[in-house]
Amino acid sequence: MEQSVDIRELNERIKEQSSFVDLINIEMGKVIVGQKHLVECLLIGMLSNGHILLEGVPGLAKTLAINTLASVIDAKFARIQFTPDLLPADLLGTLIYSQKNEEFVVRKGPLFTNFVLADEINRAPAKVQSALLEAMQERQVTIGDHTYPLEEPFLVMATQNPIEQEGTYPLPEAQVDRFMLKVVIDYPKKEEEQLIIRHNLAKSFPKASAILKPQDIIKARQVVKDVYMDEKIEKYIVDIVYATRFPADYKLSQFKDMISYGASPRASISLAMASKAYAFIKRRGYVVPEDVRAVCHDVMRHRIGLSYEAEANNVTSEEIISEILNTVEVP
Amino acid sequence: MIPYKKRTALVLLSMSLLGLWPQSTARAQNITASASIDSMQIFIGGQINLTLEVSHPQGMAVTFPIYADTLAQSIEVVNRGKIDTLSIENSRIQLRQVYRITSFDSGMHLIPAIRFMAQGDSSQFVQTREMALKVYNPFEEVDPEKGIFDIKQPINTPFSWTELIQYWPYAAGFLGLMLLVALFLVWKYNRKLLTPILGKEKPIDPPHVIALRELERIKEEKLWQKGQEKRYYSDITDVLRHYIETRFTLPALEQTTDEIIQSLRPIESVDNTSLTNLQMLLQTSDLVKFAKHIPLGDENDLSMIHAVFFVNQTKLEIVKTIEEQKETSQKI
Repeated sequence: MEQSVDIRELNERIKEQSSFVDLINIEMGKVIVGQKHLVECLLIGMLSNGHILLEGVPGLAKTLAINTLASVIDAKFARIQFTPDLLPADLLGTLIYSQKNEEFVVRKGPLFTNFVLADEINRAPAKVQSALLEAMQERQVTIGDHTYPLEEPFLVMATQNPIEQEGTYPLPEAQVDRFMLKVVIDYPKKEEEQLIIRHNLAKSFPKASAILKPQDIIKARQVVKDVYMDEKIEKYIVDIVYATRFPADYKLSQFKDMISYGASPRASISLAMASKAYAFIKRRGYVVPEDVRAVCHDVMRHRIGLSYEAEANNVTSEEIISEILNTVEVP
Repeated sequence: MIPYKKRTALVLLSMSLLGLWPQSTARAQNITASASIDSMQIFIGGQINLTLEVSHPQGMAVTFPIYADTLAQSIEVVNRGKIDTLSIENSRIQLRQVYRITSFDSGMHLIPAIRFMAQGDSSQFVQTREMALKVYNPFEEVDPEKGIFDIKQPINTPFSWTELIQYWPYAAGFLGLMLLVALFLVWKYNRKLLTPILGKEKPIDPPHVIALRELERIKEEKLWQKGQEKRYYSDITDVLRHYIETRFTLPALEQTTDEIIQSLRPIESVDNTSLTNLQMLLQTSDLVKFAKHIPLGDENDLSMIHAVFFVNQTKLEIVKTIEEQKETSQKI
């Protein structure tokens, strides 16, 4: 009976502490028209301490979305346009000699902020990408002899343009795996686009108000970790991840030759964390299979390596994930 | 053409006049030599034995002539036998050698006198008499002007089943294998055909019968009374999901609660009350399974009632016609 009380108490606590989610949605909705999925993924990334890789054509309010989120949380925001001549020091910072003080002083780079928009990350060479991804993973940057921790919360939203692939440096699989979510955004609906026009032609563009402090997000992250995940859900997550590695064991023999490598254990961790964050957003103190399925595509799509055969047959990772979800038994 | 018997008589007569008998014997200084042939006449290519025999006193050596491949013109040696010692009596030795000879030329051929030398004295020798061998050509003379024709017409050999008897183990093995393959294919693709052979196939219970039976089993196990609420609800939902999958052909086992409800909503045979009850049951079940929720005893009983109600309300019943009912009652 005590267990039941615990979960009830947890549920109440989460309902109480997740009330800001609705406020964030309202404030973001003032500025961002549509793109609910993007906003949801930003919240998941923020609450589960993950980073987001965003893919979509230009002009879909990617910058506006993360900028608005930063302003709602009253957090610092930086946008870095990745170009072929960008250097790691341009991101991390460097030591500069001060003639006045006759010593080297640290000039911190734009990564020392809460929210970073790494725009068109695939336009910068590998060494810059590595520098960013290392900082994302370690959440600290070393300049000279000193290591400096990055701001908390720290969320990187990197964008990739699916078109204009010439002269780009595609992210290696190992680097892509460090992004918790890969979100693919599409054009808004007709009605939404009409509303976007109205917003932009109005005399004053709507602005989101700061309703939270970064500390609130850090606290919320602790609560998200407390969201209860049953053993059955854990097994369900493991089954989904294993199905990407050994499809034949899950009656998915048709994908046996189409998957060159399956999802890593980091995918299992990310799927579990993202499911908890999603349950939190839905104001629940426990994870249900719906939560896992809701975030599965975003967590897994960049972690499945497709073989040449899959590309020849126009089979996408999206289709593979959908088929896995339709085949793996729900607990 | 002169008939064969007549020709033979003429040959023997002419040979007797010439002294060319099929056996010839010669004697010289205690050495006796003789040569004989099986027959005086052969068909072309036919083979006969030429037997040479020499008798001489013990201690004396006699040399046999060696014919490698030809005995005389038109007479060829097929095989040359070894010299055998036949008998020893009165201090004499008798030696014998058999030649297998043939001829491929028709006509009268002469087997020459065969000379045996006494060893150590070239002046001492003994020789057999000459013999004649008539070789017949049984074939008609080929006249190119008449055109080419078969020497012999193809022989018609009638088919006999007894010829196949030797192959019966192979045939039986092959037929047995074919039978096994046929049985496997029928078993795999059309088991109904095997029913008369293997017996009547057990009828498969309809989904609602299976579901109700399983629900009854869960009820009897009294799981929630033993504090196993999670297993109780897992078992109930598993039974219902299997039932939905077989009854409505929906992938309920791979669907979440919301997806199951959404899939069932457009189905006419599922009324609103059943759907609401099912939703309530599945949601309670989710809470128990994933949120450590422990429902009250009444709630547990109600869930079972909802499950049974849903199955009963949505089961597919086959309504029998009056005639079918009559038939059934008659059988009883």
